[in-house]
Amino acid sequence: MNAVVDFPVRPEARPYLEAFGRDSLARAGREPDWLTGYRKGSLARFAEFGFPSRRSEAWRYLDLRALEQRPMLPAGAQRGGISAQIRAQLAEMALGRPAYRLVLVDGRLAPALSALEGLPPGVWLGSMAAAITERPELVRAGFEALSLDAARPFAALNTAFFADGFVLDIEPGVVVERPVEIIHLSSGAAQGGSLHTRGLIAAGERARASVIESFAGAGHYWRNDVIELNLAAGAELTRVALIEEAAEAWHFGEMLATLGAGASLSSFVMLLAGRTVRHETTVRSEGEASRCELNGAFLLSGRQEANILTTVEHAAAGGETREVFKGVATGRAHGAFQGRITVRPGAQRVDAHQLSRNLVLGPHASIDTKPELEICADDVKCSHGAAVGDLDEAALFYLRARGIPDEQARRMLIEAFVREAVELVGTPLMREHLLQRISRRLASSEE
Amino acid sequence: MLEVTNLHARLNDGREILRGIDLSVKAGEVHAIMGPNGSGKSTLAAVLAGREGYEVSEGSVSYLGRDLLVMPADERAREGLFLAFQYPIEIPGVNNMYFLRTALNAQRRHRGEPELDAGQFLRIVRARLKLLDIGEDLLQRAVNVGFSGGEKKRNEILQMAMLEPRLAILDETDSGLDIDALKLVARGVNEQRSPERAIVVITHYQRLLDYVEPDRVHVLQRGRIIQSGDKALAVELERRGYGAAEEAA
Ligand SMILES: Nc1ncnc2c1ncn2[C@@H]1O[C@H](COP(=O)(O)OP(=O)(O)OP(=O)(O)O)[C@@H](O)[C@H]1O
Ligand SMILES: [Mg+2]
Repeated sequence: MNAVVDFPVRPEARPYLEAFGRDSLARAGREPDWLTGYRKGSLARFAEFGFPSRRSEAWRYLDLRALEQRPMLPAGAQRGGISAQIRAQLAEMALGRPAYRLVLVDGRLAPALSALEGLPPGVWLGSMAAAITERPELVRAGFEALSLDAARPFAALNTAFFADGFVLDIEPGVVVERPVEIIHLSSGAAQGGSLHTRGLIAAGERARASVIESFAGAGHYWRNDVIELNLAAGAELTRVALIEEAAEAWHFGEMLATLGAGASLSSFVMLLAGRTVRHETTVRSEGEASRCELNGAFLLSGRQEANILTTVEHAAAGGETREVFKGVATGRAHGAFQGRITVRPGAQRVDAHQLSRNLVLGPHASIDTKPELEICADDVKCSHGAAVGDLDEAALFYLRARGIPDEQARRMLIEAFVREAVELVGTPLMREHLLQRISRRLASSEE
Repeated sequence: MLEVTNLHARLNDGREILRGIDLSVKAGEVHAIMGPNGSGKSTLAAVLAGREGYEVSEGSVSYLGRDLLVMPADERAREGLFLAFQYPIEIPGVNNMYFLRTALNAQRRHRGEPELDAGQFLRIVRARLKLLDIGEDLLQRAVNVGFSGGEKKRNEILQMAMLEPRLAILDETDSGLDIDALKLVARGVNEQRSPERAIVVITHYQRLLDYVEPDRVHVLQRGRIIQSGDKALAVELERRGYGAAEEAA
């Protein structure tokens, strides 16, 4: 079946190794050798690392046992047309107004649902599968740069297995006015399987764009998404992730960004639905005076588990980081925020601030918040604040004293709490969309 | 409309704040409650509105023939009880207009009336704003956030004007207002006056009572109503202070 395995294999990785072997025949001839090379190398790394243990700092808050005991192997391509269910999901998740749209169903491009016409000159937007043939250098450079350390075993698994995804490549000086939306849907056909998608955004010097990625689906699946962002000098990028997966689904998202001099990244991550959801952002500020705004929120109920992680590494001087994260947990939900800011020696005049505010509602919900500042330069301004609390009783009474029923009053206050973070999203269309999804979610989840 | 009988209430730490209040308010009446700082006026208002954190150890309150004390705060409000807060609460992130519409619709739903959409609501609220000379920008901001003291009080009166309560308790709505604002608040209160409604104003000043004529005036001291009378009592209190009332009691 597969080639001789000359490296140690962790038992939980074995089924994935076997699946890779089974697929290798189908892959042969369809993909360039360099890609197969990366896939094999990454698989070997995954086999060696296996699943992260809870002793690993980046995974201490998630319980992976269910995933470890029952492998969720990569789902194959689905035959057949677009179901009514997928159309309904799309109608829910799509922005109301014109946008460039790329839709992936079960991890693969759905051309019939996508709208890529009218892109300005100098902009390439297409599926990852197409980019591998049409823009091999760009894609290759991304794989080259990704460091597959032990803390990122699932990024390695993603490299080994991703079927498709998207690439947005913007030439220097080009401004994409309309929002770009990437919508990931799942039909439920991948029942018990995993969907590995790979994204790449390369913004040339002074290029500008805003991108929203939405994730939704049906059934029991594991989505393992990796996206790389490359911002050249002076580029400005907004990236919003709206994660609203099926109630039983798992979602791991890994975002790796590199910022050139004077580049500006504005990121917002909204975790709304899914059984276990994790989003990790790693930003390397490599050019001087870059700006990085990382904001987000999670809104959890039932038995949901969610984890937002951010790492910002200031390797150059004059960088600025602003973070605001809000968390809400009700029922038996558990959320965690881990935010690390590192200032390397010589990276002077860095200005970084992080805020993590959380609401824990009810005796069985919990939220952990863990800021970490690691500063190796002397002329820097770094601060953080973290708070975990309950709803403001006085505000709740005020609303109730006007006749608003208790449940509804609580929802209003939760929404207001999350709204404060969402207001930081600079693109009005995306901001409104997020707020709408949040109030829908609150209206539908009776705690 | 409201019958308060021998009402005793204490804080969680056991301190008794209300020590046997008797008060009877009939439909169509306006009552004024006066009394020194810390005498328990706001506590009485809070207990009537259903605020948690007070234990009623003795006595009863009947409102429209029902036992008020067993009703949750939001139900009391939907049944037409309104409290204008001495210190209105700031609620970041909740738009004032949205808040008002949600409150009004909650009450309309309760009465079996159709809910108002944003357009219908706007027409009604605009008419009220005009009447009370309140700028529309107040509606676009978060509830009470960054409002001046006077704006907060006007916002309370606006809420009362929109919700049209059966029983309104105004806790020092006249404090901290300039003379024009005071007249506006008085106008808002007088607008509400009708044979089916009752109003209780808690105040330190005779001035409001020049514009809103009370049927009864009560003096609350150390958790008890020590004296009641007609509006002449307010004039006398203004002149002689509470010390005299205490001696008379
Ligand atoms: N929740 C509370 N916690 C602690 N003390 C309280 C609380 N509520 C009332 N008190 C105390 O009870 C007493 C009465 O307070 P209350 O606010 O009712 O007075 P008031 O008559 O409204 O005074 P003012 O004229 O100053 O508004 C005060 O001593 C006050 O400190
Ligand atoms: Mg008071």
